[in-house]
Amino acid sequence: MYTIYSATGCTRCKIVMARLRQLGLDFAEHDMKAAGKEAFQRFYAANRRAIFRGPEGVEFPLLTDGQTIRQGLGPALAWLQAGPDALAGFFQVGVLHKEWLDGIDISGGDPARADDFLAVLRHLKQNAMKLEIATDGGNAALLAAAVREGLADRLVMNVRGPAHLYGQLAGRPVDPADIRATIALVAAFPAKQFQTVVAPLRRADGAVAYLAPGEVGQAAALIAEAAGDNHQPYLLRPFRPEAAADETLRRAEPLAAAALLPHRSAARTHQVKTEIEKTG
Amino acid sequence: MTYPSVYPTGTTVYDPAKCWNGYTIFQAAEEGALLVDMNGTGVNLWKGLHGFPNKLLPGGQVFGHLGVRNPAYGMQDQTDLVQVDWDGNVVWKFDKLEYIEDPGETPQWMARQHHDFQRAGNPVGYYVPGMDPQTGEGNTLILCHKNIKNPKISDKTLLDDTIIEVTWDGDIVWEWTCSDHFDSYGFDEAAKNILARDPNYRPAGGGQGDWMHINTMSLLGPNKWHDAGDERFHPDNIIWDGRETNICAIISKQTGKVVWQIGPNYDTTDQLRKLGWIVGMHHAHMIPRGLPGEGNILIFDNGGWAGYGIPNPGAPKGSKNALRDYSRVIEIDPVTLKIVWQYTPAEAGYMMPYDANRFYSPFISSAQRLPNGNTLITEGSGGRIIEVTAGHELVWEYISPYWGKQLKLNMVYRAYRAPYEWVPQLPRPKETPIAKIDVATFRVPGAAPLAPVKQTAVAGARPYLLDPGVLCVGAADE
Repeated sequence: MYTIYSATGCTRCKIVMARLRQLGLDFAEHDMKAAGKEAFQRFYAANRRAIFRGPEGVEFPLLTDGQTIRQGLGPALAWLQAGPDALAGFFQVGVLHKEWLDGIDISGGDPARADDFLAVLRHLKQNAMKLEIATDGGNAALLAAAVREGLADRLVMNVRGPAHLYGQLAGRPVDPADIRATIALVAAFPAKQFQTVVAPLRRADGAVAYLAPGEVGQAAALIAEAAGDNHQPYLLRPFRPEAAADETLRRAEPLAAAALLPHRSAARTHQVKTEIEKTG
Repeated sequence: MTYPSVYPTGTTVYDPAKCWNGYTIFQAAEEGALLVDMNGTGVNLWKGLHGFPNKLLPGGQVFGHLGVRNPAYGMQDQTDLVQVDWDGNVVWKFDKLEYIEDPGETPQWMARQHHDFQRAGNPVGYYVPGMDPQTGEGNTLILCHKNIKNPKISDKTLLDDTIIEVTWDGDIVWEWTCSDHFDSYGFDEAAKNILARDPNYRPAGGGQGDWMHINTMSLLGPNKWHDAGDERFHPDNIIWDGRETNICAIISKQTGKVVWQIGPNYDTTDQLRKLGWIVGMHHAHMIPRGLPGEGNILIFDNGGWAGYGIPNPGAPKGSKNALRDYSRVIEIDPVTLKIVWQYTPAEAGYMMPYDANRFYSPFISSAQRLPNGNTLITEGSGGRIIEVTAGHELVWEYISPYWGKQLKLNMVYRAYRAPYEWVPQLPRPKETPIAKIDVATFRVPGAAPLAPVKQTAVAGARPYLLDPGVLCVGAADE
């Protein structure tokens, strides 16, 4: 027996409830803007650590079976498609609204579950959602399949850094051939964005230091080489220490926006449309 | 506005004993950067070197630009900022701000510079004793354009102003963007309303709102206010003005925030009401240390038409709703906002307000304080450059004889006076006084002399009794 916490007028909630019905699964709905307000407040108070609250409030729907909680359209459908954890890594809570859905990380999941992953994307597209798919180069073949089938509306590639630091920055090995293939796929896609978080990393001497301008320039050159041109939309994003998983990196002093100007200059040598993300 | 169809050009008035003598650099329309001596001799024309503006450097070098972006796609975007030596060789160049690919044009990096820039060593771009701009090193602050979207201002594409600092090697190391601080400029709801609907929309590039139109940018430099502990006037802080908004502001170099401001409205305090409404201003800057009036802010208050606000008969939609048909140069104390010196049509000897538009440039223009206390004023729209003393005496006048063929104006955006020593390539020029011609008696060939051939006495005619009260229109404050 599932419980879904919804909000009046929430299209994404309706999609999940329709899927539950389609699969013949019983569920109870609590609309937090109507009669289900108190039930939601109790649920939220008991589980707030597991519920993401963004700048615009809590993202709905919230789906639970009493033990597992999945928040957002993508994670909820992934659970219903393949069980609570099989597609873990592919879907997270997003921040986009209305018809746009993000939080889909094609590099983050197990490629052996490609069929289930693509099935979720198909279901989302059948429900008129526009999908923003993120990648860092992993699972290039899966991205190619999604693109081929018309399941993506916008691609965002997180270019972790230059080739020699890529695995370290990604936190796992990433096949260089996959990286290049992904860059080529993204570059050829109509709606796309390349981006690099100018992040700190532990160097060979043990010191923690941010990506240097030259290293970001190398990342831009990598894009140029694999994309075959130097006009790709490329965004440099400041690192947010508070969001880092690594305790050492969490202690890193954040870079001021002006500190990224040399990185932008270096990147523009290879990608002329490079910009710095505006913050604050 | 009465303007004769025939009048002399070049130097028309010159009193060497009262002038701060030197060379004057300006952009001769569609010709290049022209350096003239006090008698108007063009001692060097850097042919084809654009100037927005041109500024002279020690050693006979000059700043300018190699080209301008096709106006179909960009408004006033200079392709670059270059430093050129006496013989026309480019010794420094910056263009790497934005890669531009306009239809039918060769893709290229562009600085998109406009209106101003400052080289390290000197805060304002003109001669200050002991503050020579660096010529072989040093960072440069450059005022540039960028196209943005900012729904807080308008849903239309905006032509925004950005100030960048670039190193001698061309690396951008500091950047400030005007629209990021929209909330701090103090626009009232009427202004926000017209800004949203018409942010000074210009046709280039399919349309872009030149909403602020910053037209000057300089450093404060060391000053007495900061010496006394007022951090608003930190020497590194930057002063600019926005022609379209009637704002003059000082921003913190460290935080980017506005720390001092006048405008957009001038009716909110007694101080501002006494200062009077500044309209479409140019070249607002702090007079640098070492020059008479140091620490005060010198502004060419154009008049003309500018501002956003409540509609009126002269601005039925609320765009450019402040109007005045004469100019004034004002020097203000930035703390009290009192005018400590001014040159208006009244000081120029014109009857106010009836003849006021004889000192009037509704766009461009500038004012430079000279070491002897004189002020070099570019009354730009008519190509007139004058030097006046602190007592308002006109001691030098030059009318640009260079009319554009594409833009049929002899306009001078901004002229600068520099010491002879900055041009070591030339011997000190001869200074020949030019007495002011009495235009009542001066005649062109073929014209009759002043005196009537016959004078006839009229029986009973009484003496003329005239004062402004007999004119058809009264002064606004009569």
